[in-house]
Amino acid sequence: MQGSSRRQALAGLMGAVAVAALSAGSAAAGEKITMWHIFGNATEPALANLAKWDKLNPDNPLDHKFIPFGQLSQQLIKGIATGDVPDLITIDNPVVASFASQGALEDLTEMVKASKVIKKDGYFPGSWNTTIWNGKQFAVPGEANTLALYYNADMFRAKGLDPDRPPRTWAELKAASEKLTDPAKNVYGIGFSAIQSEEGTFQWLPFLQQSGGNLRDLTSADSVAALALWADWVKSGQASKDVLVKRQFEMTSAFLGGGSAMVVSGPWELQRMDKDAKFEWRVAVLPVREGKNIEASALGGYVWGVPKGAKNPKLAFKVIEFMSEPEQMKQAWSGGRLPPVASIAIDNPSNPKAYEVFKRQMEFAKARGPHPAWPQISAAVQTAIQSALTGQATPAAALEKAQAVVKPLLDKNPIDGL
Amino acid sequence: MTSIDATAARPGRPRAAMRRGVLDRFTDSTAIWPVLVAATALYLIAFVGYPVLYTIIMSLQEVSVGNLRSLSRPWVGFDNYTRLFADPLFPLVLRNTVLFVGLNVVLQCAGGLAVALFFQQRFPGASFLRGLVLAGWILPPLVIGAVWKWLLASDNGVLNYALASLGHIAKPVYWLSDPATSLLAVTMANVWFGLPFNMILLAAGLAGIPRELYEAAAIDGAGPVRRFLSVTLPLLRPTLYALVALSTIYTMRAFDLIWTMTHGGPVDSSNIFPVWSYKLSFEVFDFSGGAAISTLMLAVVFVVAVAYLRSVRAEQSL
Repeated sequence: MQGSSRRQALAGLMGAVAVAALSAGSAAAGEKITMWHIFGNATEPALANLAKWDKLNPDNPLDHKFIPFGQLSQQLIKGIATGDVPDLITIDNPVVASFASQGALEDLTEMVKASKVIKKDGYFPGSWNTTIWNGKQFAVPGEANTLALYYNADMFRAKGLDPDRPPRTWAELKAASEKLTDPAKNVYGIGFSAIQSEEGTFQWLPFLQQSGGNLRDLTSADSVAALALWADWVKSGQASKDVLVKRQFEMTSAFLGGGSAMVVSGPWELQRMDKDAKFEWRVAVLPVREGKNIEASALGGYVWGVPKGAKNPKLAFKVIEFMSEPEQMKQAWSGGRLPPVASIAIDNPSNPKAYEVFKRQMEFAKARGPHPAWPQISAAVQTAIQSALTGQATPAAALEKAQAVVKPLLDKNPIDGL
Repeated sequence: MTSIDATAARPGRPRAAMRRGVLDRFTDSTAIWPVLVAATALYLIAFVGYPVLYTIIMSLQEVSVGNLRSLSRPWVGFDNYTRLFADPLFPLVLRNTVLFVGLNVVLQCAGGLAVALFFQQRFPGASFLRGLVLAGWILPPLVIGAVWKWLLASDNGVLNYALASLGHIAKPVYWLSDPATSLLAVTMANVWFGLPFNMILLAAGLAGIPRELYEAAAIDGAGPVRRFLSVTLPLLRPTLYALVALSTIYTMRAFDLIWTMTHGGPVDSSNIFPVWSYKLSFEVFDFSGGAAISTLMLAVVFVVAVAYLRSVRAEQSL
């Protein structure tokens, strides 16, 4: 009895080894690596990186599919529900913890430790942090982006402001915005997106951090000041009420159309600025609040992840390593993004001044999370922003409501620095 | 069963007439009934029953990204429902949904009838123009949402420009960004979107009313209003019932337009159940909550459908 079961076990083991050997063998020869990514633009340099991989690895070409940024999570969830996940996926950095904490991503800790290309030290700490959950690594930063202040230099001059001295403090920003607002010409002083989605949170968090407030203490005077800053802009007519329903892309369009003199936006808009702006535009780092002097901005960007259930996690990681080589990462800038590795400098970047600004801004960019309940936290913040900006509640009352949702979640899983 | 009989008839019998005879005999006989029933039942189970049951089961379980794949998840009974009912958003979204659906059904049906009656008047190009009106219904909702968002923009929107030029407004109206008007604005867009479909159905219903009835009524001395009330409306009743049921079901599912135009905001003022369900499932990863809302909507749609079917049956038995 015992003998036979042992024999069976042995036979089973041998079978398993054979199957493993077979699958490893077939993976090496001609198996495609499936990938879902956000590289939709035909001029997207990342697509050139994918093509380069195919050229260098004809045995394991990429079978890749574009998914719009806003539908990434939804598609991944559908994939998980139906058991049809790709080997490799680009994920928006604040949802990594949600997926990782629920076991939807492969643990890459060991592979990253053994990697010769991916070294923690080089990466922006904010970017790196978004990929860690519970001490384990579930993703690798692919690119990074952040927010800065675009401004219309022509309008600055017309209103007697010096375009060489962009606003450096909240007071200067407020003064500039007031001066630049021109209702007769349909020009708002400043633009930002306060839409009821992740984009609204992404845009407001830099101001929260500059104020000296934080998510743990949303009812503090500092936190309230950050929301009051936005609410006052809308109330005084220096920002359009449409910030409540317009996405960042649409707010930048308004800036490009001369509808606002300044706009908070990211490097992904640089190509559009070059092409569509009929005026002299510039970029400046976000201002600081007087007395606090805290430099802060948001940290955006996608990370590479391997969904649980992927057929070729090892091959997928090889692709991640390839994409993390400086040669490939340098492509990011021409796509309007930054390499997540601080030491990788772009030689002769297009828009060199904007490049310097965004690169400096990156040093102060803080991650949203990582937190497994980030979407809930963000939703509560969005509601607070919208209640205050519509005038339904005072900034203090709106934040008090958000605090009731956010605090218990942060007590359970604190976020470093937020 | 059928396939065996049908193929058995094929080889060795080259004459088509013979084969037809066998098939005819078969399809005419009651022997095919079980097959028809089975095919329908199979289709319904696979493509309607399974997803519905799956959603209902999900709404009674605790579902996360981690256990999405398996069906054995922790059962929580009606917790998801009680949680939703207790959510401060629930009354607001309920009110929004009732207003949105109610206004849409009334305005789409009344507007559709008005336009259908208009095109029933005989004038050159009437049927061609009626076809053109359908163009709006053919466009994808995402495109319609984007266009309406632009039309309704506060600062450089077409509607505000037109109203200001005509001197009706001194300040821009914040159609989408004012919580007081955002639901009205998305309703307006959705009425525009759904009206042509209602119009076509009603036009078909109108065409089915015999001309002689109008002529007889006219001879009896009935004016246009009387003819409309005593001939058109009663004879159009089955079509109207169907339309009310259909547009209720259609608007209960409205999602794309609102998503494009307001994302449910500002402060959830244009949030309706389908939008909330989507936000819960795909933004906050609360799949159970999303499924519970879908189940509630399903119940409402089911009641509407049953009411419609009963009215049809009552109509037929007259």
